[in-house]
Amino acid sequence: MKNSWLIASREFMDRWNSRSYQWMLIIGPLVILLFTYFLLKFGDQGKRSLRVLIADPTDLFDNKITSNPTQSIKYAFYTSYLDFEEFRDGNRFKEFDAFVEINEKILNNKTVKLFYRERPSMEVKIKLKFELERRVEECMIEQFTNLGIDRYRQIKQPLNIDFLNVYDPKNQAENEKGWVGLFFGAIILFFIGLFGMTILRSTSKDKSNRVVEVLLASVRSTDLMLGKIIGIGISAFFQLLIWSFVIIIGLLIFKEYVFTDIFDPSKYEGLQYASEVKNEILANSNFARYNTFIDLIYHRINYTVMLPVFLFFFAASYFFYAAFFMAIGATAGSESDGQQFIIPIFCLLLLSFYAGFQTIYSPDSFLAQFFAYFPFTAAMVALINVSIGVTSSGIVQLILGFLFLLLNAFFFLWISARLFENGILNSGHRLTWKTVVQWLKKT
Amino acid sequence: MINIIELSKSFNRKPALSDVSLTIESGQIYGLLGPNGAGKTTLIRILNQILTADHGYIQVDGKLLNNNHWKDFGYLPEERGLYKSMCVFDMLLFLACLRGLTKNDARTSVNYWLDKFDISSWSKTKIESLSKGMAQKVQFIAAVVHQPTYLILDEPLSGFDPINVDLILNELKTMKSEGKTIILSTHNMKSVEEICDHVALLHKSKVIVEDKVLSLREMTAKGEFTVRFSGNMIALANALWTDFELMDTKEFGDNRFEIVVKQRGEKSFDDLANNLMGVLKLESIEKRLPTMQEVFLVRIAKEEVENEE
Repeated sequence: MKNSWLIASREFMDRWNSRSYQWMLIIGPLVILLFTYFLLKFGDQGKRSLRVLIADPTDLFDNKITSNPTQSIKYAFYTSYLDFEEFRDGNRFKEFDAFVEINEKILNNKTVKLFYRERPSMEVKIKLKFELERRVEECMIEQFTNLGIDRYRQIKQPLNIDFLNVYDPKNQAENEKGWVGLFFGAIILFFIGLFGMTILRSTSKDKSNRVVEVLLASVRSTDLMLGKIIGIGISAFFQLLIWSFVIIIGLLIFKEYVFTDIFDPSKYEGLQYASEVKNEILANSNFARYNTFIDLIYHRINYTVMLPVFLFFFAASYFFYAAFFMAIGATAGSESDGQQFIIPIFCLLLLSFYAGFQTIYSPDSFLAQFFAYFPFTAAMVALINVSIGVTSSGIVQLILGFLFLLLNAFFFLWISARLFENGILNSGHRLTWKTVVQWLKKT
Repeated sequence: MINIIELSKSFNRKPALSDVSLTIESGQIYGLLGPNGAGKTTLIRILNQILTADHGYIQVDGKLLNNNHWKDFGYLPEERGLYKSMCVFDMLLFLACLRGLTKNDARTSVNYWLDKFDISSWSKTKIESLSKGMAQKVQFIAAVVHQPTYLILDEPLSGFDPINVDLILNELKTMKSEGKTIILSTHNMKSVEEICDHVALLHKSKVIVEDKVLSLREMTAKGEFTVRFSGNMIALANALWTDFELMDTKEFGDNRFEIVVKQRGEKSFDDLANNLMGVLKLESIEKRLPTMQEVFLVRIAKEEVENEE
């Protein structure tokens, strides 16, 4: 085992000293952060301030909108009928970016049309909708009730319908959380794919430059194989750590200094309302959905459970898949010869995504249950289940799935060791299934 | 001492070694000879525990060959291989540690060998930047850096220029004088004659002959003698008479000649000396031994004939 560690540390240093690895350490997380930045920065495209003309022929709004209007929206009132063509073409309306048509039956049909010249941003849309809703509400209270505004808002409750699973009445199994699991699973698959190919290339290279014969005169073939897998695995894990560290720091900077309004709606310019009003905004507007994702990432995932499970499944899946990549590298006559055997492995990696969707949308289906134990997909399913929140029966499934994956990893490492031992000194041949079977049988 | 006992190995039912038994005494330089495909590399790989034999076993100093012997063996494979991206010093340090040296001992040993071969200036050079000859030297050091008791060399001289061939041969002689056992497989018959004590000739997976180098050459000798003298050829012809047959003649001028004669019947070195003495002015008479190249060719040809029969 001492020799395995020597080989592992050499493999790690080999990666560490390689330019591409060093670049990927820095460039990889920066690209992800840059992508996130653009997503947050330009995800809410559109005009950020509006001059709005409210065409209110019945003067329902009484030339008022709110006592504390948003700075980014300026309102003007027009108490005659106006159709959108007249607004579009009329010179006197050119100064307005949008016009709101308040129809006569608005209190019954609760429909308002807004015509814009340039698409407003999501943020402006939300503010506009909120302020118009408030005003319509006030008019309704005035016209149909004897209640004061405050009293009305106390009484007014939206009707929420929760669809709950009878076996999960606390609604722990929420789909949206599952996407976080899928994301974590995808990270595992990404690193396995990337470093699996490194294993294959490294083994093929050792074969082609003949250094393997020198090594095999000093170590057992299984030690050599394990050393390579562990060394490349450590470099993968190290890269993952660096990426995670840089990305977490980057996201914190985004949260605290760059996109403060997105992460904390109380800092939203102009929305200086009472706290219950803010909550209502969050509950009813599109903005709330926009923010749910951030809320999900930052608050609703149980990372104390998620991270250990991620690490265990990452390690077990890596060893499981590494056995295949190593076997191909050792048995292929040349690097290109091994490519044909890579395709089925990548197909199985992709199967994990299908298993992920199946688990999110039909967690109780036979397939989802099967994928939880199937070693090629177990990591993805486990991470989705953990992100959703596991029940006591789920924990049993999780542990069994992990043990089964581990068992398979050991089994395939053993198979791979046999192929490695018999194939590593052979090169220049064309790899066929017949040869693989022959080498498997050979002691 | 290494005892190779009834070793057999086949690949895809094709025998690479058939019932090979050899005894390699400690402190010897032992040559493994044979045409390509004879089974030398397979035998060497089994000795280095890279391959396992189908049948038979190997004993090292009376103990069955096992993983604990790795530190006692050094190996220079025929197809050289080093990590191209590593620098010379790190590469040697890594291989020395793999062979069981501690990092400190490995460092000391690597420095010693780099100094000895006068290549300390290369220590930070990447392997990929070395010429073939330079890489060969590094590969040789890799085989000896952990001070092995048994050194196995597969074509150790290939790729070296004459100066470095001399350097390596001298190093092998020094190691032999230190009591190390060296097993080498080579097609360079001149070096076999020069340094090997014992050789085994393999052909088609079998050992066809195993003996001391001198004994093998003598066994294959055809009763030929090289004579240097001054005088005339007529006197020579009279002196040889019917006892010896003249095979070859070289004239150096001033009536000085070197001739090769072959004995007839039971005639010996003494008979030749008696016949020539007093008739010619003799400078030297030498029994002509075949080169190892000739021994090799004769033995293989003989084996082929026997196989055909």
